[in-house]
Amino acid sequence: MRKLHLAAVALAAALLAGCGSAAPEPVGRAQTAPPAADATYNDTDVTFLQMMIAHHGQTLEILKLAHTRGTSEQVALLTGAIEATQTTELEVMKGWLASWGEAATGGHASHAAHASHAAGGALPITAADEMASLRKASTAQFQTVFLNVLIGHQHSAIEMARQETGGGVNPQAKELAQRIDRSRTEQIKQLLAMVAS
Amino acid sequence: MRRLVASPLVALGFAAASLTVASPASAHGYVSSPPSRQALCASGRVGDCGPIQYEPQSVEGPKGQRNCHGGLGRFAVLNDDGRNWPATPVGTSVTFNWVLTARHSTSSWEYWIGDRRVAFFEDGGKQPNATVSHQVSLAGFSGRQKLLAIWNIGDTPMAFYNCIDLQVGGGGGTPVPTASPTARPTARPTATPSVRPSARPSATPSAVPTTRPTPPTVPSGSEWAPGTTYRTGDEVTYQGLRYRCRQSHTSIVTWEPSYYTLALWLPI
Repeated sequence: MRKLHLAAVALAAALLAGCGSAAPEPVGRAQTAPPAADATYNDTDVTFLQMMIAHHGQTLEILKLAHTRGTSEQVALLTGAIEATQTTELEVMKGWLASWGEAATGGHASHAAHASHAAGGALPITAADEMASLRKASTAQFQTVFLNVLIGHQHSAIEMARQETGGGVNPQAKELAQRIDRSRTEQIKQLLAMVAS
Repeated sequence: MRRLVASPLVALGFAAASLTVASPASAHGYVSSPPSRQALCASGRVGDCGPIQYEPQSVEGPKGQRNCHGGLGRFAVLNDDGRNWPATPVGTSVTFNWVLTARHSTSSWEYWIGDRRVAFFEDGGKQPNATVSHQVSLAGFSGRQKLLAIWNIGDTPMAFYNCIDLQVGGGGGTPVPTASPTARPTARPTATPSVRPSARPSATPSAVPTTRPTPPTVPSGSEWAPGTTYRTGDEVTYQGLRYRCRQSHTSIVTWEPSYYTLALWLPI
C-alpha cells in the first residue's frame, strides 16, 4: 500500500531544487517562498492533500456565504483570517501535488469512502448538507447555524489531519497536518466562545 | 430496514469499524450552545479537562445511560459535578444547538433533568441535517439545573451524551469561569485618547484608529502573542523580525508570522 513514488518525482524535485525554493531558509529572513515538499510520499499523503484541498474549497464557499448573509464584526474578523490563511494553505497543497505529478482532486468515490471510514461507518456531513442548512437558515438564526456548521467542518479537518499524521510519510505533508490539527483546534475555541455568547 | 440485522452483529460490525480507524475512533456530535461540559472544555473556558478538550464530539456510549460521559473512563471528568461547571443563564424556553460531524441515522433525541424526561424528539431513523437544534420547555424548573441531552443513533446500539449546566429563570448569575476565554474586551480601553486630533499628526501612529473602540492596543513592536486582537497596521516582533498586521484578527497559535500567514503579517 505504501508504495513510494520516488522515481516519478525525481525530476520535479530536481526542478524545484533548481528554483532554489527547496534550499533551507537563511536564518533571520522572513519566509516568503512557499515551502517545498520532499519527493518521498505515499498514498495516504496524496489522499490527505486531495481531500484537504476539497475540504478547503468547501470552507471558502461556506465563508463566502457568511459574507453575503452578514455576521457580527467579531465573527467576521475570525472568518476573514481563516479565509486568508486557508487560501494560502490551499495553494501550497496544490503545489505539492503538482510537484509530485499527482492530480489535485481525487475520485469522488474514494473521497466518500475515506470520509465514511473516518466517521466509523456513518455517512459524513457533506458540503451540500452544510450549504443547504445555511441557505435555509432565517436571518435571526443565521449566525448560530453558520457557527455550528463551521465548527463541525473544522472538526472534520482535524479528523482528516490525524489520519495523515498516523499514516503519511512525507515530512512536509505531516507537518501541515499537525499545523491544521492545532490551528483548527484553536479556531474551534474561538467559534465555541462565540456560539455560546 | 437495517434493523433486520441482529444486534450482536451490529455491535460486532461497529467494534470492527472502530478498530480499523485511527484515533479518534468515533467522533460525531455534541451540544455547542448553551455550552455542554465538553464544549466548555473544548473552548478552553474550563481548563484541565484531559483528552475531551480535543474531541468534544466523541462522548459515545451504549444507549440507556444517565451520565455525562457515556461511561467512558477517559472522559470521566465530564461526570464530575464537583468541577464547578459554569451554568448558563437561560429562560424557561431554551434552544439547544448541536454540532454534528456525521449524519448518523437517528432514532431520537432526549433531554433529561434528574429523573424527568423534559423533551423527546422522535426521528424514526432519518438522517439529521448538518446542524440540529431543538426548542425545549423548562417550565416548572428554576435555579441551577444539570440537563442531560442524548442523541440516540438509529442503526447502532450507541448514543451520544452531553451534560449542560443551566441557571434557569435568570438571576443567580454565572459563576466565574476557571479559565479566561479568548480576548474579548467588554470595556473601553483606558488607553484610547480622549481627544481626537483635528489635524493629521505629523508622525503616523503605528496603530491606525478604526471606527470601533479598539481593544487594548498592543504596544507597537511588542512580541507576537496568541489570544491578542491585532488591528491592521499594528506592528509586532517575531523571532527577531518585525511584521505589520495586514488584516485585523484575534491571534491563535499557527497564525504567528510565517509563509502561511503572509496575508495577515507583512515582513517589514
